[in-house]
Amino acid sequence: MTAALALKGVTRRFGGLVATDDVSFTVPGGQLLAIVGPNGAGKSTLVQLITGFVRPDAGHIRLGAREITRLAPEAISALGVARSFQTSRIFPGLTVMESVLVGTQVALIGGGRQPPAFGGPKPPAFGVLAEAAAVLFGLPRYAARRRALEARAAATLQLFGDRLWPRRDQPAFSLSYANRRRLEIARALVAEPDLLLLDEPTAGMNPTETGELAELIAQLHAARPALTIVMIEHKLQVVRQLATRVIVMNHGSVLVDATPAAALADPRVVTAYLGRAATSHAHG
Amino acid sequence: MIELFLSQLLNGLVIGSVYALIALGFSLVFGVANLINFAQGALLMLGAFFAFTLIQWGLPIVVAGLLSIAATAAVGMLVERLALRPLRNAPAIAPLLSTLALAVIADAGAELIWSAESQPFPSPLQSFVVFVGGAFLTGVDIATFLVALAVMGGLMLFLSRSWTGRALRATAQDPEAAAQMGIDVALMRQVAFGLAGALGALAGILVAMYYQSVFPQMGVPFGIKGFAAALLGGLASIPGAVLGGFLLGIFENLASGYVGEGSRDLIAYSLLLLVLMVRPQGLLGTGRLEALGGVAGASGAIPTTSIIASLGGATARTRNRVLQPKPWMVLAVIALAALVPAIGSAYVVQVAAGCAVFAMLALSLTLLSGSAGVISIGHAALFGFGAYVCAILARNHGWPPAAILPAAAFGTAAMAALATLPAIRLTGHAVALATLAVGQVGYLLFLNWIELTRGPMGIAGIPRGSLFGLSMQPLDRQYWLALGLLALCYLVAHRLLESPIGRTWRAIREDRPAAHAAGVPVLRYLVLVAATSGLIAGLAGAQFAWLQAFVSPDSFLLETSIVLIAMVVLGGMGNIAGAVLAGVLLALLPEALRAFDEWRMIVYGLVLLALLRFRPQGLGGVK
Repeated sequence: MTAALALKGVTRRFGGLVATDDVSFTVPGGQLLAIVGPNGAGKSTLVQLITGFVRPDAGHIRLGAREITRLAPEAISALGVARSFQTSRIFPGLTVMESVLVGTQVALIGGGRQPPAFGGPKPPAFGVLAEAAAVLFGLPRYAARRRALEARAAATLQLFGDRLWPRRDQPAFSLSYANRRRLEIARALVAEPDLLLLDEPTAGMNPTETGELAELIAQLHAARPALTIVMIEHKLQVVRQLATRVIVMNHGSVLVDATPAAALADPRVVTAYLGRAATSHAHG
Repeated sequence: MIELFLSQLLNGLVIGSVYALIALGFSLVFGVANLINFAQGALLMLGAFFAFTLIQWGLPIVVAGLLSIAATAAVGMLVERLALRPLRNAPAIAPLLSTLALAVIADAGAELIWSAESQPFPSPLQSFVVFVGGAFLTGVDIATFLVALAVMGGLMLFLSRSWTGRALRATAQDPEAAAQMGIDVALMRQVAFGLAGALGALAGILVAMYYQSVFPQMGVPFGIKGFAAALLGGLASIPGAVLGGFLLGIFENLASGYVGEGSRDLIAYSLLLLVLMVRPQGLLGTGRLEALGGVAGASGAIPTTSIIASLGGATARTRNRVLQPKPWMVLAVIALAALVPAIGSAYVVQVAAGCAVFAMLALSLTLLSGSAGVISIGHAALFGFGAYVCAILARNHGWPPAAILPAAAFGTAAMAALATLPAIRLTGHAVALATLAVGQVGYLLFLNWIELTRGPMGIAGIPRGSLFGLSMQPLDRQYWLALGLLALCYLVAHRLLESPIGRTWRAIREDRPAAHAAGVPVLRYLVLVAATSGLIAGLAGAQFAWLQAFVSPDSFLLETSIVLIAMVVLGGMGNIAGAVLAGVLLALLPEALRAFDEWRMIVYGLVLLALLRFRPQGLGGVK
């Protein structure tokens, strides 16, 4: 079986800095992979590379059997890759509901793939003029699809309990920090992705909120066994709780690739995080 | 043959050194304040006029020049105080449009003080001539080149060796880190504006000597060419600005030598658009343009270009009360307005019809700049395109209105989609620059494509024809047609904005990278909004041509584009009801100020400046 995501020799330099250096790994479908590492290890660059925001200087990235190395971000997204950003990007002037609905636009116009969860064959696409005409003349087919996607967005918001749903008509910028992160994840989920990339989803959350979000991700992972999740996470507690596999990065390279327990106990990992002196001290 | 080449090359080097000076002013300000300073051209013009006045008072040219440079540096600092400092936490477009407003005020003010006519500027070294091969150089050429080179060298030394210069560069690289190192970042911004003023003044004096004249409109073309040079080299790059200046000067002179003098500006602006499309980061630049988020963009908690989010946190919801009447209410007001001919004189009906045209234009621009966030300073070109389509088809080909309306609407829509392409890969301030260039290209085509447009003479005697068997000759019927078109356009805009299409436009405005990441085909929606905006502008243009029965390039100047921007800001960005209201109000303004016509642009400039400072959400609220 082909892996859901495969990176081969992916290298990206920014000026003299090698952000990712010959990174290769594959992620089987349904895995929950955590990428950890100290600041500047190249973790976020990896997400930028996979989602097409940054192009690699060398190497290949495959999604299933499909090469996506040089595709534009929206093309990669349309193939079933959804992401969150390190700094929550939630369309601040839109309402919470609208912000989630942006994630359904590609499905509304029938671009991209038809997610299995949507059921049935892929509906015909609306071209740009067809969509404008559908709006202006109230075409029933477009309106029905719009209603169905609005219901899907509502269901997605309700996944987060009463955190987002009661606030659906408020502007997104008025949300708290933690709720912005939730909103971004909701927007990613509403597209029913095959691959979900989360860039520090619990950053800035207190322990209760972190626990709640970890629980949500665990539920997602259980409820959608086909969904591959790659998350960058600093909180090792969350990594231990969720991940089935951990990749530790340092200076742009893969340092360790193992199970959470083995990876986090690896002396090289401790050195990467704390430096050599601390390690020798820790070893007595 | 080689003589022509050599002579154009030398001319190019000379004028290119002036462009390099202007470009350096842009680059300094852009580097330190992350702002494209649209007042740079105005500073150049003011510098030339200050020197002109001092020379008239009997001062020697060198003393007058130095005093003028000092005075213009002070004006540059004033620009920082008025356009940048009070707006640091304002939406990213506020400082940009404020510099535009200041430029408008300066240009109109100069016309008041020094008259709009071109005046002779003394050029003592003009008679001194040196032959180089088959080409010749005047003393002014040599002096210009040497002075510009010396100033560039001095500036490089200043930036690399002096404490202040290093502090400026540090501020440009990372203002927060610079502030933590004890650098007064606010002062550095002011220094950058002061230097930009001094460079602008020097360039202005050199230009005045080169062309031996000064006139208030000189700021705009040299301003744009300075941008073009800065952009060609890479906006935040100082060596890039110098390289860009020389390249632009040489290229433009070779083009005017081989293609014809009339094409000089057209070719310079086209080059600017080409650079924006192909290599927006310039020859020596970095990818920084893509990261443009305005003055507050870099440090904000939410990376966005959202005007709503930057209105001020939780208070924004209460401050931004949005005027959004039901469509039937707007239609009812338009229906009431249809009664004007029953009570008003022909003059009143003519004014009211003009208001309807400007309401359509404001509506058209608020879709593009307000809803989708593509700030356009060239909208007058689309308006003009529609007007010329109508004028040419009606007068030369005898087309009836029923055929002209769709031709103008869809023709302008296609044109708008095409003209927006250079801007589509850009964000923030660079878009404004690209659309400014598009607008000027449009104006120059109206002016210079004489076989088609009759050039500056314009096209007169445009027949109004008849529609559905009714003669459209009476003014009242033209007015009703204008109202009908306005109502139709309003309904179309309302319908689109309330649909997923409008939501997607606003999402792209709020955060374009996030829209890409969410799978939105951004290009498709930007082309659609440009086409819709163009469609409405084209109808407004056709209606305008019938109303005036005359079109000429003068109606589609940069001034018109700026008035439209003021309407959009006054109405509340993206608010169509607000735009219609503001279009009517600002179209009435010149009628109210009829006795003070020369003050008109100053009033528009002040309105825009005050709005951006005190009420960026406009009358109707941002939507």
